[in-house]
Amino acid sequence: MYRYDEFDAQFVAERTKQFRGQVERRLAGRLSENEFRPLRLMNGLYLQLHAYMLRVAIPYGTLSSEQFRMLAHLAEKYDRGYGHVTTRQNMQYNWPKLPDVPDMLDDLASVQMHAIQTSGNCIRNVTCDPYAGATAEEIEDPRPMAELIRQWSTLHPEFTFLPRKFKIAVTAAKKDRALIKAHDIGIQIVKNKAGEVGYKIIVGGGLGRTPIIGQTLREFLPKSELLAYLTATLRIYNRYGRRDNKYKARIKILVQETGIKEFTEQVEAEYATIDISDIAVSQAEKDRITAYFASPDFESLENEPAGYTAELGSNKAFALWAKNNVAAHKASGYAIVNISLKPKELAPGDITAEQMRITADLSDKYSFGELRTTHQQNLVLPHVKQSDLPALFTELQKAGLASDNINLITDIICCPGMDFCALATARSIPISQAIAERFADPERQRTIGEMQIKISGCINACGHHHVGHIGILGLEKAGVEFYQVKLGGDASEDAAIGKVTGPGFSQEELIDGIENMVELYLAKREEGERFLDTYNRIGMAPFKEVLYA
Amino acid sequence: MSTLKHKGKGPQAMTANELRDGFNVWLDKNLDWTRDYENSLRTEDQDLIDRMQLKAETDEAKNIVVGTYFIDVEPDTGLPARYREKFRVNGPSYDTADLLEAK
Repeated sequence: MYRYDEFDAQFVAERTKQFRGQVERRLAGRLSENEFRPLRLMNGLYLQLHAYMLRVAIPYGTLSSEQFRMLAHLAEKYDRGYGHVTTRQNMQYNWPKLPDVPDMLDDLASVQMHAIQTSGNCIRNVTCDPYAGATAEEIEDPRPMAELIRQWSTLHPEFTFLPRKFKIAVTAAKKDRALIKAHDIGIQIVKNKAGEVGYKIIVGGGLGRTPIIGQTLREFLPKSELLAYLTATLRIYNRYGRRDNKYKARIKILVQETGIKEFTEQVEAEYATIDISDIAVSQAEKDRITAYFASPDFESLENEPAGYTAELGSNKAFALWAKNNVAAHKASGYAIVNISLKPKELAPGDITAEQMRITADLSDKYSFGELRTTHQQNLVLPHVKQSDLPALFTELQKAGLASDNINLITDIICCPGMDFCALATARSIPISQAIAERFADPERQRTIGEMQIKISGCINACGHHHVGHIGILGLEKAGVEFYQVKLGGDASEDAAIGKVTGPGFSQEELIDGIENMVELYLAKREEGERFLDTYNRIGMAPFKEVLYA
Repeated sequence: MSTLKHKGKGPQAMTANELRDGFNVWLDKNLDWTRDYENSLRTEDQDLIDRMQLKAETDEAKNIVVGTYFIDVEPDTGLPARYREKFRVNGPSYDTADLLEAK
């Protein structure tokens, strides 16, 4: 886990103190709302449909148990007893009061957290593979690089007022769990033919009202050149990105309008003017950062210990949970545990303060005190002994955190929608709950297999509906909500934007239509095919036919 | 503040958010702010509408409320005309906090 150095601690303390003064001046009337609004947004504070909302940054989705307990404390003391994990691995609180927010930020600072750059036209919180540092699939842990980007981009004087917000995601595995092709910049740690480790840079991806899959800007960038190359890319965006129309201001539009070839030439030309040594980070500093992410002291253990395999054989509920929610770890005898925040009774991504505390305690007991948030709005305990899995499962069950639906049809990404969001055009939470209810039978979910349904309550696409195997977009006309369906989206390394099926549906029609499509898939699928594979093989027409039946 | 334009025709209500707590409020017949839409003043009387406008501007300047704007009201139901505003009246149809309170 990264620990703040003196600069970080001082910076966050100063920023929190500044914001306390700004809130005091706002409440006393010495700042108008027009003056205060950009200041509160820079500190993650929005005014939403019913109240303020505070978005807390969780850099690259990595948390300590102490930090998670603090998030629980915030939920209980200043909010209504729960928090919401977002699709950018952050935590949102729906009901804070303005006079309390400086205290919330002070409390966050005490555990090296803040809400800076979770809003505004700046470089936002860097997101990351939640299995980082735990999976054998990765070339190396991407978090030291993500931390380097965090330090470089925090209050970067040149990139604080970009044409629009800017999102970066990083991964180090071929299997993409960070959606890097749908980010302004996606970075994948790769090896070149000579076996050197470097970065593949993808640019111009994004969802929103104009969904675009990112394109390769550089196949291989030497590690030492990362910040200089990012600087060149951001400079081109800052220079040529449109500021006349916020809907065309993201870098994806610039890349699309310029063309990737010319855009690349512009970046490379700018890059040629940069003295890399001006921005380059010393090896000593890199080593210092990397040391914070060193693997815990794993014991030397055998895979599949007797107690674990015996429980798999005798406890069906445990076996099903282990099959869906547990992933392979790089260390023998350990496992990565996914904790689903998609129980039928809660909104996707919501977690109560009590559950946060329990999870923090479980991470201390079983996972070296470390947790992750995922862009799929779940949690991960990254380093659990396989021999501890049965006991962990029992404790998760008691806390209502043992839903065994990871990557199944009820593991739905869902934005807050009209229930909370000021931008939404329709509700999304009731749709996810109706789908969860319709497909509540765990056996049926497992029969259907891997399925990604993603729901957004407006065209801004915070619910990632463009890349859902089934994507759902909530709209409203003349006071009636209706839902448009997309099929064939893919959030993996084979990223693809789904295609709209046609006119929208009422909620009831939608759920029936989804069920019809699932039944068609089950009837048509070939050995080993997921819903998406069958869709890609047979095309939209048969699905559309049953959807509109 | 609403990003949707209201027509400004027919009955109007004045809404805002409390500066301190952020909650939605509407002006009532005494031109005080209420969190309960049921108690809100909904009127077509231009004199009253002018007074509501003045009161909203005054209270925004006094930092009592933020983001004031008129909303269109359905004459027959008395409810806000726009779907979004209906949601502001009713609150979330789902909130995990309600489950916690029920426990």
